[in-house]
Amino acid sequence: MALLNLKKILLRKDIIKLLDMLTRSMGMNVCIKDNAGVVVYGEGGGTQPGLPITASGQIMGMVYADDAGKAAAIVSLVNHIAGAEMEKKALATETLDKYSELTMLYDFVEKVNTFNVKEIAAFLIKHVSEQIKADNVSVMLINDKTGLPVVIAESGSDNGIGRVLLSGKAEIINDCPSDPRCRNVACTVSSLVCSPMKAKDKTLGVVTASTTEPYNYSADDLKFFCTLVSQAAFAMDNARLYESLKNAFIKTVYTLAETIEKRDPYTGGHTKRVSNYSIAIAETLGISAVDRERLELASVLHDIGKIGVSDNVLRKASKLTDEEFDEIKTHPMCGQEILSYIEELKNIIPGVKSHHERIDGRGYPDGLKGQEIDLIARIIAVADSFDAMTSDRPYRKGLPLEAALEELRKCSGTQFDTMVVEAFIEAWNNNSISLESK
Amino acid sequence: MPTILIADDEQHIRMLIEQTLESLEDEGVEILTAQNGDDALQTIKEKRPELVFLDVMMPKMNGFDVCNAVKNELGIKGIYIIMLTAKGQEFDKEKGIESGCDLYITKPFSPKELKNKAKEILGLP
Repeated sequence: MALLNLKKILLRKDIIKLLDMLTRSMGMNVCIKDNAGVVVYGEGGGTQPGLPITASGQIMGMVYADDAGKAAAIVSLVNHIAGAEMEKKALATETLDKYSELTMLYDFVEKVNTFNVKEIAAFLIKHVSEQIKADNVSVMLINDKTGLPVVIAESGSDNGIGRVLLSGKAEIINDCPSDPRCRNVACTVSSLVCSPMKAKDKTLGVVTASTTEPYNYSADDLKFFCTLVSQAAFAMDNARLYESLKNAFIKTVYTLAETIEKRDPYTGGHTKRVSNYSIAIAETLGISAVDRERLELASVLHDIGKIGVSDNVLRKASKLTDEEFDEIKTHPMCGQEILSYIEELKNIIPGVKSHHERIDGRGYPDGLKGQEIDLIARIIAVADSFDAMTSDRPYRKGLPLEAALEELRKCSGTQFDTMVVEAFIEAWNNNSISLESK
Repeated sequence: MPTILIADDEQHIRMLIEQTLESLEDEGVEILTAQNGDDALQTIKEKRPELVFLDVMMPKMNGFDVCNAVKNELGIKGIYIIMLTAKGQEFDKEKGIESGCDLYITKPFSPKELKNKAKEILGLP
């Protein structure tokens, strides 16, 4: 508890008034000094030895007066006031502590659901560190395959202590060296609080907050710690579910793309390469996370509409006739139609539909120009063309690398977006792209 | 000596803010309180505090009216007014801007942030 300042109490107007009235009616001079000997009320020293003012067992100052008996009356009054103030202060301090805890908890609950396990762990560590004394807060998750706990985030250095605490119960250990469980762990931890992360019936992991210096964690510390950990556990469980759902979705998308590729014997690995080139361009350009996610899916699905092109055209070993080429040109529109049935893929339609558009407006299917073409379509166009140029066809050999790059440069600004071509060449020169998967 | 006024009709909120800002008293800051809008306006006129925490929903005179009186009608300068508004209670931003308030904070507030804000406004270390 904060030591109460005697001056702060006595400087209150109503108290000064009361003391003034009392001393005047008693007809004497009173002087009150704090523990440092500084006069906080009245003046002079009086002839008698001082009497101590005490509140909650602490001496807070001394009262000096000419008359010991009268001084005693002042002392008992000031004692009473100081005592009441001390209690009020203690209550106010405790209330403020609880209020801080509560607002922090509100904030925590509101922001912890990020769908990203690492972010949740970092967020938990930040909040625990702010509220509880600890030189290391560590979050361990149990690896699904191995069943072993793995540290996924921590604020200090790994002390391995969490590994021995998977018994599944929250507890305080204020003297680690003498705890039998900690005996075999070579670490310098003195005190810790720990709590399992549980969601539904499953233990996801364990969180520990520890100090190397001796420290006594209280039941309040543990309670607050457990509240944060349990909230974070729910968030992590959600994040994991979200993650596995997303992975299943992405796998489905890849399988879909794979199905198309299997029909077209001449383009083996084309999808994978276009996707790799596209990502390399995106990284060089530094596009937004949302666009990047769209690009990843769109580059994989860009030729999905080829499902609507007949086998004899798609698998034809010789050069296509104009009519046959017209049939090939329907694939972007067909792709658009297929994707429009899947809510989660609607936002990648521009990337799929417009990957054969040209900057000069002479592409298909809509004849869009320049910035009218979605950025991810402009990226896929470069990646797709580069792969087509460098691949062998039954009726022609693929272009050598340098010739293909030269072709990109040549068509930059007419067929392709200059910025995207530059990014591709830069990525190529930085070895971010290679022809390895061919 | 810089002065702070805390105006809120709820005693526990006054106490919480007072306790939050308590350590500033050691830097020489004086903390005053008011329990309603009338009281707040009177104190502002007499004591000219540098910083005022003003609850929006107060009896006699609400926070907007107090702020409007201080900033627009009386044109008092050098006073930073922070409106306090309960979470969930729709804070009328337009009304806030019209009344001339400098900032608004939602309750429950974070004591740490509130204190840092006060220090920043008063230019304390």
